[in-house]
Amino acid sequence: MKNINAVLFLLTILVFTSCKSSKNSQNGLLYWSSNNTDEITYARFIVEKWNKENPGKEVKFQPVPEGQSSEEVILAAVVGGTTPDVYSNMWQGDVEYYARAGKLVALDTLDGFIEFLADRCDSAVIKEVTSRDGHIYQIPWKINPIMMIYNVNFLKEIGMAKPPRTYSEFLSMARTIKEKYQENGRTKKWAGYAEVQVTWWQRWFDYYPLYLSASGGAKLVEGDTAVFDNKYSVATFSFLQKLFTNNYFPTDRLSSGQDPFLSGTIATRFTGPWEIIHAEKFKPSGFTYGFAPIPVPDDHTGQQYTYGDTKNLVIFKTCGNPQLAWYFLREFCKLENEVEFLKMTNQLPRRKDLMTDKLFAKYFKKNPMMIPFALQAPYVIGPDNSPVLKEVFDVISAEYEQCVIYNKKSPESAVKDAAHSANLVLMQ
Amino acid sequence: MQKKKLTPYLLIAPYILHFAMFVAFPVVFSLVLVFHRWNIISPMEFVGLGNFYRLMGDTFFWQSVINTLYFIIIHVPLQLIIAISFALLLNQPLRMLGFFRAVYFLPVVVSGVVVTILWQQLFGFENGILNRLLTLISLPRVGWLTNPDMAMPSITIMATWKNVGLYVILFLTGLQTVPEQLYEAADLEGANAWQKFVHITLPMINPTIFMVLVLSTIGGFSLFIEPYVMTGGGPLNRTLSSVLYIYKQGFFFYHMGYAATMGVTLTGIILALVVLQKKYVERNT
Repeated sequence: MKNINAVLFLLTILVFTSCKSSKNSQNGLLYWSSNNTDEITYARFIVEKWNKENPGKEVKFQPVPEGQSSEEVILAAVVGGTTPDVYSNMWQGDVEYYARAGKLVALDTLDGFIEFLADRCDSAVIKEVTSRDGHIYQIPWKINPIMMIYNVNFLKEIGMAKPPRTYSEFLSMARTIKEKYQENGRTKKWAGYAEVQVTWWQRWFDYYPLYLSASGGAKLVEGDTAVFDNKYSVATFSFLQKLFTNNYFPTDRLSSGQDPFLSGTIATRFTGPWEIIHAEKFKPSGFTYGFAPIPVPDDHTGQQYTYGDTKNLVIFKTCGNPQLAWYFLREFCKLENEVEFLKMTNQLPRRKDLMTDKLFAKYFKKNPMMIPFALQAPYVIGPDNSPVLKEVFDVISAEYEQCVIYNKKSPESAVKDAAHSANLVLMQ
Repeated sequence: MQKKKLTPYLLIAPYILHFAMFVAFPVVFSLVLVFHRWNIISPMEFVGLGNFYRLMGDTFFWQSVINTLYFIIIHVPLQLIIAISFALLLNQPLRMLGFFRAVYFLPVVVSGVVVTILWQQLFGFENGILNRLLTLISLPRVGWLTNPDMAMPSITIMATWKNVGLYVILFLTGLQTVPEQLYEAADLEGANAWQKFVHITLPMINPTIFMVLVLSTIGGFSLFIEPYVMTGGGPLNRTLSSVLYIYKQGFFFYHMGYAATMGVTLTGIILALVVLQKKYVERNT
């Protein structure tokens, strides 16, 4: 623990020394982007454009300082009072935590914000990003919808022309794969892979998108109550449990070896659009893949939702000129600029005209692999507004492990116990 | 005269500064935190003994303590036996002695994360090298990291492999301080090798044994990297060590006061164990 204290302290010093305090930037702004290379390219583009068009209102830009994670660096900056004026990569699940501590500017108090947001997003998204105190502290910025990637040739080998849509279809595919590729009791190929570790955010790639898909986008938490003890959670746990207990998914960790999807070891995986760049770079010749929605229960009707891995724009309270920061963010989110953002990063802006505006249409014509994600975009859900959401995911993970991976509990009792533990966390 | 008085303080200033910032401050601050609820960014809230009440009812914490003790119970004797055995071998006049001593020490200086990832490949259930060897000789595969009963012993094997080199060196140093004439006298009395080991070597290296015992017990309580990288505390929380749980509470969920309370409690447990070890293992030689 001594080392961890030292790391946090050093991080604070690093943040303190590596950036100019925003308190000194009355006439300008300090903006931090993520340290993803493509996002840095966009940040540089937008800052240069702004500075050219707005002399005397200079924006200084730097990627978030290096650390174990950007969340940790932001936390250290908040503690040290050295936050930037504007930050463009805030995980939506963290916003309530910072908002409740009074570290973020309520954007709905700034001129023109409400009109801007109504123009950009539909009412469901606005409701989703509205904080518990009724204010809005974030601009819904970008999403990476979690979908199912599948190996086209792998499915052809087992006689499937299209990817599985329902739980039954998925389980039937998985059974075929197991029977076909088992040698001397050793399974060589699997239907898919889900991380067996209980780390809370791993549930973004199995339980959570499946739950959202089954339930039509239901919440996990409403106010201070866990609301996921329902038939959709039970169906999701039950489906995943069948995958592990029948050895359709491996209980081994495959993430430390070569990519199991590109090496043809697994037929499917629940993942985001970042997989495209990775696959194009490392796929073997002749390898073809596609994306499909997350599977749903057999009796599912209506729209299929998924998790959106939403990252948003915020203004920190340390900002000396929030109105100027807001004008910068408005420029940041202008249609023509976000078309450039999409081109540079292959990440989807969270806006309602994504599939209707012709400027975006050109991009999708050139990048057809991104179309399934754009079609899914209106039906993504971001994390619920709760300052203890990580702990809620953690208690779900603990029950997930007992029920899904080790079959020690029935789905019904695992979901019930998870909701009970989550309620205890929410009451603290 | 004034300058003479100042120089020693200047010379020790780097250490004092380091001590003040990275040892004294965190220790004092964690004692303050014990009585507070603090999520880092909001003001501290005094909760009295609230964190201790929570600790008493926290089954995960007590399970993590039991897991850590289980690790220590296997790890410390295993480490002692292997380290003494290797030290005895390396104390013989062998060829390429320097090479062997260096090789056994090598895992100690390799990064813990690298070692852990390497062992993860060895321990894989379907494609791990160990299980492939077992199937070659028609034995069933072992869920080294996936079977809840095997995960902690597997981590113990890896941790022993990683750390044993340091203790081999310590024992080697201890062995070289045993006076040769004691063995000569024993030879004259007709003692065999085992009798010489039990009645001369072991008592003479008792201070080293005590030191290794204390160091590996404290090291055992610090178990973190191995479960953090290999298992995340699973399966079924069976490799959730106390430090890993403290880390999760502190740095995943920002319960700094509660994490500090667990840290202080763990320190108390370690202190009690070391006192017991001192009472029952250390002898005046």
